[in-house]
Amino acid sequence: MPSMTIAPPKRSTPGVARDDATLFVRWQQQGDEAAREALVRQYMPLARSLARRYGRSSEPFEDLLQVASLGLLKAIDRYDADRGYPFASFAVPTILGEMRRYFRDSGWAVHVPRGAQERALKVRDAQERLANERGRAPTVNQLAEYLEFDTEDVVDALQAVEAYETLSLDAPRPRADGEVVAYGATFGEVDDRYELVELDATVTAVLKHLPARERLILRMRFVDDLTQTEIAERIGLSQMQVSRLLRRSLEQLRTLTHSS
Amino acid sequence: MARAPNVCLSLVSKPENVVVVRQALTGVAECLSLNAIETNDLNTAVSEACNNVVMHAYDGEEGPLEVDVYVLADAVQVLVRDRGRGIDTRAESSEEGRPGIGMPVIDALARNAEFTQREGGGTEVRMEFATPDAKPLDPVERPDEATMKAERRSALAGQSDPAGEVVLKLAPDAIARAVLPRVLSTLAARAHFSTDRISDIQIVADVLAANAGDSIDGSHMGVEVTTTPRRLELRVGPLHAGHGESLLAAAADGLAPVVERLTDVTRVAPDDSGETLELQLIDRR
Repeated sequence: MPSMTIAPPKRSTPGVARDDATLFVRWQQQGDEAAREALVRQYMPLARSLARRYGRSSEPFEDLLQVASLGLLKAIDRYDADRGYPFASFAVPTILGEMRRYFRDSGWAVHVPRGAQERALKVRDAQERLANERGRAPTVNQLAEYLEFDTEDVVDALQAVEAYETLSLDAPRPRADGEVVAYGATFGEVDDRYELVELDATVTAVLKHLPARERLILRMRFVDDLTQTEIAERIGLSQMQVSRLLRRSLEQLRTLTHSS
Repeated sequence: MARAPNVCLSLVSKPENVVVVRQALTGVAECLSLNAIETNDLNTAVSEACNNVVMHAYDGEEGPLEVDVYVLADAVQVLVRDRGRGIDTRAESSEEGRPGIGMPVIDALARNAEFTQREGGGTEVRMEFATPDAKPLDPVERPDEATMKAERRSALAGQSDPAGEVVLKLAPDAIARAVLPRVLSTLAARAHFSTDRISDIQIVADVLAANAGDSIDGSHMGVEVTTTPRRLELRVGPLHAGHGESLLAAAADGLAPVVERLTDVTRVAPDDSGETLELQLIDRR
């Protein structure tokens, strides 16, 4: 099967390249600031497009655009027109390199990007607010519209388990009446009532390995058939936290069942 | 060396399906504990290859888009294929009337990238991304190639075909557990499910992926997905005879069967060699 390695396109668009070449000579050899400005104007859409593609909503777009623009300036300074490659094929890796460096410096290699964490929390809060207002859980489209996020970002947030690891379930949270209570206390009230009900015989030894809170949530969902939004309301958590606790408890139960 | 892919995705070349591919890759990245920069490189480059297929492979029409992911010892390899005119490497294809930058982006982000014209039409972009610190995966048993091919084709043989609009093949279990919930959430979100029901779908995906290992007849868990507004249909297989019921009954000890509780319609469909589990999840609101 014929195969070829991708090489940067060798022929540039005529006309544009000739103008560019003049501008590069004027800036690089004569220090003509106006020529440099003209190049920046011409290639800013490229920088913008790369910031949008590479940075996809991980950091505020303005910050990324600034980083991409810095990369563009470097590329304009260093581009060697005599090599015969069009400017774009040199500028793309230069600009991407600048953005990668920026991500490395902001700790992306070791932490969940802050932008993603903040978005996940916003989605959680908006989910709660919309569910309260409308009496039912919103759709992803409704959340995206409300927050002016991409729907993909909302889907990410629904999955962002790591982002929530930083969020202590014991952190004080306001109740509907505005009073702030520690989460554990809210739960205790419900649990006391719950424990008065006799557990049915199917709740086995394995289930007892889970904390009471998780047992309660599992029971509400799978035995009492409450929706996650209803459970969230009764327990004073967000639906997304209920979702996470359910998934985690089921995972724990699977592990326990398999090891026993 | 012949290797089995860890993820095979067969979709239609629609713009919104690029998001499905990205979510599947994010699942793989999570499973391997890749860092955010590696994940971003992978997602960006593969999105470019997929966008090229969406925009250029079929002259404005839709056609098959196939993505295979291989997890290697220190790299992730991704193949993006079409069966049409292929990807325009001349970089003249335009976005807002400007030269396309897809190929230079792929070139800049992948450790190496190769573009192949396939015999009988179609193109393939093969990209390899360095992942020096990736968590190792269990090896995948080499699948029966004829089966993989036949199933992929059935999924792509046009709109009237009963096969799902998105078809996944996943192995090993760890990959299925990371990828399936993300892909199903994305499809459910698009089908106007509420966050409540999307969470249920994630739980169903968790349970299926975690319990399928013993039930799957072969190396890969196959899932076909079809959506209509507020309805998600899944076909899971190929399963050993009798295992559809046990997957349905899979439950955390002492609880109602989780899958059965969270799905609206369940059916075990027998076939020549075994059976397929068919599930429907509906958002009734």
